[in-house]
Order: sequence, then structure tokens, then C-alpha cells
Amino acid sequence: MYLALMPILPQPLATILENPEAHIGGTDVTLDLNLGRAFLNKVLAARPADTPVEELLLDPEAGNLVNLHLQVQAPVIGNVRRRITLQPGPAVSFPDQPWLQFNITAGFKLLDKPIIKLMQSQIADKLPKGVELTSDHLRLHVPALLTSAGYQKLVPLIKELQLTSEANRLVIRLWVVA
Amino acid sequence: MHPVQKHLFDTNFKDLAGSKLEGTIAISEELINMGIMDFLNGLKPGPEFDAPEKPSPAPAAAPDMPDPKKLLALLNIEMLTFRTGKDKVMLNVKASLQD
Repeated sequence: MYLALMPILPQPLATILENPEAHIGGTDVTLDLNLGRAFLNKVLAARPADTPVEELLLDPEAGNLVNLHLQVQAPVIGNVRRRITLQPGPAVSFPDQPWLQFNITAGFKLLDKPIIKLMQSQIADKLPKGVELTSDHLRLHVPALLTSAGYQKLVPLIKELQLTSEANRLVIRLWVVA
Repeated sequence: MHPVQKHLFDTNFKDLAGSKLEGTIAISEELINMGIMDFLNGLKPGPEFDAPEKPSPAPAAAPDMPDPKKLLALLNIEMLTFRTGKDKVMLNVKASLQD
């Protein structure tokens, strides 16, 4: 399913991926990418239409907390809305810390098992392996996700990948050494 | 155009404001030569060059690509130096998008 999303790479990028050391060896660069709320929600709105997730909105706050507004059509309980608060965890670095983790600090109650089950089945069906959701965390296995997207050669180059939340924007810090 | 890309262009990249890039980027000679060929090929007229002339569209219908001058105006370049290494070009860069 997700294989269809694999990008057709421009030639220079494909060349880098074949042998990063030969083509960008000596690179040591840090990117701090700020992603504003409107941009994030445009990205989320571009998700496939055939999911039971009817609303998905991100609202980053100061103090490293992100609110996720979620509306799903779940079996048994029907149409439900939740506001889930996520706290981005520590930086990803290789090989010791491969998970990009978000602690769920509020939002999923004990009664929400049907919603979590539904989300888990959506994740299993529609996303590559490496996305894990429980009632208290969401975590992404960055090497697995990069590998399934065809970028496995970039994995060892990532010295640091961290996501933090500020008022109305998420900040992605990426430190690459090749 | 992808809706996300359109949003970035329409809002003059406001949602990426304050983003920063700092460090050294190494680029092999092979990559640079590949880039030069891509650039040259891009300058050649495409197949539409010989197509029968269409009624000229109104200027408003032109592709809504951002003006490169406006994009450069958003960029604060504190440092951009260039040196040659072994088989590579090294760029030292410190740049950000206006916050």
C-alpha cells in the first residue's frame, strides 16, 4: 500500500543514496526546521480520504506540548472526538536511540480502548512497520521508516533528530554528519 | 501543484519562518557535474516549443511560482564560503529564513 508513496528520486538524490560517503562525505550540518501550525494541518489534510479518521488537527503549544484533535468513526461507540496531548521525547540518535517518542499526557481514557484499537488497525494496514501506538505513547522507529521509504543509507548519517513544540509551531532539529 | 506546496508559495513561506541551516555541506564533483547537465537540459526548449501556438493566456493564469527575488529577500545569509577539498566542494553556510 505505502510502497505506492515511494518517491521517484531526482538523479542527484539517487546518486547520493547510492554512496553517501563518496558524494557528501565531509558534510556536518544542522538544520532547525520550523513548521507552523497552518502548514502542519495542510500536510495532515492531504492524507488519503478512505480512513475512518474524519478530523485530524495539530495544535502545538509552548512548553513542549502538542494537542492533537481527533475525530474518528469507531465501531460500537460511533463518532467520537478527542483532544490528545502529546509530549515529544528525547532526540533520536544512532544506533542507541532509534525511537522518536511522544508521551500521551492526556486524552485517552480507559474507555477509549475501541478508539486505540481502531487507530492501531489503521496503522497496521496503512503505514509501514515502525509506528506504535498505545494509550500512553506514540512512537516511530526512525530507521525502519526510512528503510521502508528507500532511504536506509541515510540512517547512519543522522546524529540527532529531535522534535519539540513551541507556540503554534513544531521545530525539527536534524544534525547530519556524512 | 501539491496543496502543501501551494500553501507554502501562497503564504510566502511564512510557516517555515525562523528555520536555520548551519554547518558544512560537502558535494562531490560528480554531483556538481550532474547538476550542471540538469541545468543545461532544463534550458533546452521542451516538446511544447513546436506545438501550435495557443491563444495567449492572461497574465493572471501564469504558473503561480514564487518570485526568486522575493524568496532571496526572506533569506538571511550570515555566512556562505566556498572551498575545494579532495574531489569535493565544501560550502560553509550559516543561513536562516526571516522570523
